[in-house]
Amino acid sequence: MKVLIIEDEKTLAFEVEAFLKKAFYLCELAHNGKKALEMLDLNLYDFILLDLGLPDTDGLILLEKAKKLNPDAAYVILTARGNIEDRIKGLDLGADDYLPKPFSLPELQSRMQAIARRKFGIKNESIPIGEFEIDLQKRTVSNANNEVELTRKEFDLLSYMLLHKNRVLSRMQLSEHIWGSFSDDDCDSNYIDVHIKNIRKKLGRFAAVDWLETVRGVGYKIKKQT
Amino acid sequence: MKLLTKLTLFITFSKLIIVLLFVLSLPFLVEQIASEYTNNYLVQQKQKVLDVIEKNGIDYYLQGSDSYGSYTLLKEEYIALEAIDEDFKIDTIENSQRIIEADTLNYRLLMHSFKTNNQEYLLEIGKSTATISQYNKPLQRIASYVLIALIILTLITDLVFTRFLLQPLGKIIKSKLLNRKFPFRDNIPPVKTSTSDFKYLDNSLIALMEQIHDAFEKEREFTANASHELMTPISILQNKIENLMDDSQLDELLQERLVDMQRTLNRLKKIVRSLLLISRIENAQFARLETYNVKELLNSVEEEISHRMEERNIQFDIEVDASTNWQNINKDLIFQLIYNLVNNAIKYNKDNGKIIIRESRGNPYQLTIEDTGIGIAEEDIAAIFNRFRKVGGGETTGYGLGLSIVKSIADYHQIQISAFSDPGVCTRFTLIFPENIISIKN
Repeated sequence: MKVLIIEDEKTLAFEVEAFLKKAFYLCELAHNGKKALEMLDLNLYDFILLDLGLPDTDGLILLEKAKKLNPDAAYVILTARGNIEDRIKGLDLGADDYLPKPFSLPELQSRMQAIARRKFGIKNESIPIGEFEIDLQKRTVSNANNEVELTRKEFDLLSYMLLHKNRVLSRMQLSEHIWGSFSDDDCDSNYIDVHIKNIRKKLGRFAAVDWLETVRGVGYKIKKQT
Repeated sequence: MKLLTKLTLFITFSKLIIVLLFVLSLPFLVEQIASEYTNNYLVQQKQKVLDVIEKNGIDYYLQGSDSYGSYTLLKEEYIALEAIDEDFKIDTIENSQRIIEADTLNYRLLMHSFKTNNQEYLLEIGKSTATISQYNKPLQRIASYVLIALIILTLITDLVFTRFLLQPLGKIIKSKLLNRKFPFRDNIPPVKTSTSDFKYLDNSLIALMEQIHDAFEKEREFTANASHELMTPISILQNKIENLMDDSQLDELLQERLVDMQRTLNRLKKIVRSLLLISRIENAQFARLETYNVKELLNSVEEEISHRMEERNIQFDIEVDASTNWQNINKDLIFQLIYNLVNNAIKYNKDNGKIIIRESRGNPYQLTIEDTGIGIAEEDIAAIFNRFRKVGGGETTGYGLGLSIVKSIADYHQIQISAFSDPGVCTRFTLIFPENIISIKN
C-alpha cells in the first residue's frame, strides 16, 4: 500500500512514516500543499494522510484538489484543529476518516485497515490465530466449527491486538481504542484486564490461548506464531 | 428606598413646609396689606380735601361756623374739620376711638393740621377698623384654596416629570446589567436620554462591559490557541513513545517506564482536550439543532459506562418517560454532560450504591441525578464547577475539569445546574431546563 503523508510538522511525519513502514506501507512525505499537489499529480496513492493546518494551503481546499487528482485513494484527515465543522466538511468532501491530534499510531493503523477492508474490499477476512479463526467481516471467532461468543468490546479488543500482532499494546492504548475520548486511563485500565480475562476464559474452553501474552507492567500482546 | 420615592417624599415635604409657612403668615400679611391700603386711602382723601380748600377756600366746608363734620350712614367713614390753637401741630395716622352719636367706635384716623387764612385748622379723616378687616377672612380662605390647588398641581407635574426624568436609569440598568449574559457578547445600543449624567453612566457601563468582554475574549483565545499549539508537540511525543515501545530491543524495565511516560502524557492530553472543548463551547462553535430522546440518551450513557458500574455493583435507575425529547440541543455535548455527571456519580459512589436519574415534568422541567455516594462538603459545593478544583479529597481521580465542562455545556444550552449534597449520604445534581428544549411526544 502506498501512502502519502501530507504534514508540515516534519518530526511528526517521520514518526508516522516509521510506524507505518513496519506494517509494510510504502510512505512518501510532503511538507506543504504545493509539494503535495506535485506529488499527487505524478503518482497514485492508496492512502493520503492529510493535515489540515498546512502553512501554505487550506487543508480542505487541498483535499478537494487532491480528490480530483487521486479519486480512488482513501483520505484520512489528521488535525489539531479538531472542530466539529472541519470534521463535517472534511467528511462531506469525501474524506474516509478523521483523526484529531494527538492520535495514537496503532489507532491510525487500525483505522486505515478498516478503510482498506471497506473501500478496497480486501476479502481475506479470516485470520488464523492459534487454533482459532477470526472473521473480521462477520465479527466472529471460531474454533473448528464452534463459534465462541464474545461481546462487542471483547471482539474489538481481540481484533485490535490481532492487527498489531507481536506489538506490545499498553492498557491505555487499548482503552482508548475501546472507549475513545471517554476513556479514563486510571480507572479503565483495570477494565481492560477484566475484558482480557474474559476473552481468555471464553476462548480457553476450546483451546490454548498462550498466544495472548501479558507483558508485566505494560499491557498485552499477541505473539507471532512460528 | 428608591430614588423616585426619595425625590417624591422630598418634594412633597418641602412643598408642605412652604405651604404651612405661608398659610400661617397669611393673616399678618393680609392685615398688613389692608392697613397699608387704608393709610393710602386716607392720605388720598386728605389730599382731595386740601385741594378743595385751596380752590374754594375753607368756607366751602365751614360756611361761617368754626367746625365741620360729616360721616357716612353707618359711620364707617367720617371727616371733621375745626379751627385749633396756633401752637398745635400734628400729622399722623393712628388707631383711635371716637364717640359719634353716643357710639364709641374704633377708627383708623388721619390727623393733619394746616394753616389757611391765618387760622390753624385740624383735619381728621377716619375709617372704621371693622371695615378695614372685613375682607381679611375671605381673602385668606381663597388664597389658601388657590395655594393648595396650585401645590397639588405642581406636585403632580413634579411626580410625572421626575418619573419621566428617571426612566433612562431603569432602562440602563435593565439593558446593560440585568438582561445580559456573561460574557456580554452582544452589543447593546446606548439608551436614549438627554440627561448627561445618565449618558455618562450608560457609556461607562458600556465601556466596562466591553472591557470584561475583551478580557474574556482574550482568555478564551489564549486557551484555544495554547491548547491547539500544545496538541502538536504532544502528538509528536506520543508517537515517538509509541514507536519506541515497538522496538524489540527494549527490556521490560524500559518498556514499563515508557508506559509511565505515556500515562503522564495522556493526562496532559486530556487536560488540553478538555480546555479546548470548554473554550469551543464558550465560543459557541457547536450547533444546537438536534433532538434527543432522553431515555435513549440515558441508555447509551449507561451502555458506555456500565462496565464501571458493574465493577462496583452500582445500581442504575432511570425514571424517565420514553416520550420525553430534548430539542434544540447538541447531541454530543448533551451526551457529554450527562456522561460526566453519571461518571462522577460512579466515581464518588460507595460500592453497592445507587444512581437514580429522575425527571419531573413540572414547569420548569427538571432532571435530577442522584447518587448514594460520599457527598461533597458544604464548603466545597460552591466551588465544584470551577476549573481544576478537585473535590472529595486528593485520592480520587480526575483533574477538576469534568464538572467545568458540565457547567459550560449547561450554560450553553441555558440549562440551570445546581448541586445539593448530604455528605456521606448522597449528592444530587439538578438540571432545570428552559421551555424551548422540552418536547413531549408519544
